[in-house]
Amino acid sequence: MISSTFKTLTFAALLQVGLLAGVGATQAQTAPRGTPGATMDIGDQPGLVPPEDDEAQLDPAFRRQPVYFRTTEAPGTIIISTNERFLYLVEGNNRAMRYGIGVGRDGFQWSGLKNIVRKAEWPDWRPPVEMIERQPYLPRFMAGGPGNPMGARALYIGGTVYRIHGTNQPQTIGYAVSSGCFRLVNSDIIDLYQRVPVGTKVIVRQQATL
Amino acid sequence: MKKLLAVLAGVAALAATGASAQTLKSVKDRGELVCGVSKGLPGFSAPDAKGQWTGFDVDLCRAVAAAVLGSGEKVKFVPLTADERFPALQKGEVDLLSRNSTWTLDREGKLGLLFAGISYYDGQGFLVRDSRKITSALELDKSKVCVQAGTTAAGATAEYFKSNGMELELITLPDSAALVKAYEEGKCDTLTTDVSQLYALRLNMAKPADHIVLPDVISKEPLGPVVRQGDDQWFNVVKWVLYGMLNAEELGVTSSNMAEALKSQKPDVKRLLGVEGDNGASLGLPNDFVVLVVKAVGNYGESYERNVGAASKLGIPRGINQLWSMGGIQYAPPIR
Repeated sequence: MISSTFKTLTFAALLQVGLLAGVGATQAQTAPRGTPGATMDIGDQPGLVPPEDDEAQLDPAFRRQPVYFRTTEAPGTIIISTNERFLYLVEGNNRAMRYGIGVGRDGFQWSGLKNIVRKAEWPDWRPPVEMIERQPYLPRFMAGGPGNPMGARALYIGGTVYRIHGTNQPQTIGYAVSSGCFRLVNSDIIDLYQRVPVGTKVIVRQQATL
Repeated sequence: MKKLLAVLAGVAALAATGASAQTLKSVKDRGELVCGVSKGLPGFSAPDAKGQWTGFDVDLCRAVAAAVLGSGEKVKFVPLTADERFPALQKGEVDLLSRNSTWTLDREGKLGLLFAGISYYDGQGFLVRDSRKITSALELDKSKVCVQAGTTAAGATAEYFKSNGMELELITLPDSAALVKAYEEGKCDTLTTDVSQLYALRLNMAKPADHIVLPDVISKEPLGPVVRQGDDQWFNVVKWVLYGMLNAEELGVTSSNMAEALKSQKPDVKRLLGVEGDNGASLGLPNDFVVLVVKAVGNYGESYERNVGAASKLGIPRGINQLWSMGGIQYAPPIR
């Protein structure tokens, strides 16, 4: 039931695109941070340790903040707006806590209704097979810690290979950069982690297609 | 009394010109739209370094010009003060007023005007220091609140605090510069005025990022384009240009994907862009008027972000101005 609205087709298609696309192409950002066309072609940098005050590196628009948000979804629901580069944690009474995120590159974006099935602090990283095929230079395993691309916390999205996690590259927030995961700066994912239990409903939204 | 005279003058002017019932025709004949704007309000309407008018309100003028005349450049901008704006519209000196004006009953009932929709939902909000880690205006009990004298903000603030069982100390300042100074010097815990204004004031502070605007909005200040009463055709044109911009955003049509959008097989998109049907013609416009509008200024979201949103200096979050389907209250009737 959980996965009823998940677009399996899109998922399969994007993996294929990903395989064809290959790695290593360097591209400048195409549009301002936060706009739909804003992408950043930056490889994962395992081992890079982010600054302590990673939040200070964020554009103010992408810092954690309470916002007006009207929805019929219950308080506690996570709503991810890929297009806007924001994650909303619904708080009820027309408000939500909003976090700036980095999202999947073109071809690595998806939408659907899911749940958080597991939570982990300073998670280990085992890049999935698909990712290793595209980026063979990645380690097969990396223990959790400050230099780990998963960052300080991870929320595992059920039925997918995707997670909501921290990052060791705070400058990527606001851009389409990942392989389909949603990344927050470590201080934000720590905050979110404390607020959501396993079982939390996650809604991933995309912009309308033509 | 002064107000009454102004109204009478307006009514007389309306009767005298008579041509006001054919605004669309006169704009077409003239080959230029005359649009009343603010004298200079960053983000909404202000001339840039090259003297080009830019801003969110300015975009709406350009959008109407694009729909009617095929080009967003065919606009004569008339800067008007708050006192001048309504008489100028009543007398027919401008075809359209797109000047940060709040829609109220008074302005339609007594001044003989019509608001053609709500382009921007503004309202009174609060600015606080981020370091206080406050997330709601309901946490402002026992606060010292800075307000500007002569605005409705003081009354609305007192009312809000009272109805939520909170105490406050109001500190009234003569102008916005004094308001910012008092707040920055720590004489008050929070500063209150309209949300769009809070973001503009924050820009001028020593460290803008150290302050946040709370999500609570405690008064209604719906801003929108204004036309004269008695010309339903023109009223419809302005209204549907705004709704066209909103519908374009909702359907994912932008200034950069127009070529692709024109090939869309979705009925909603085909009707919006005039690929199918005669919706534009029924208003006296080209069927592809939305195409012209979006090419000139972008869809609603593009115009918002460029002028007042994330891509601008103001950085005002979409908030309640987000589309109804995305957590806000911006809602346009469908084009069909």
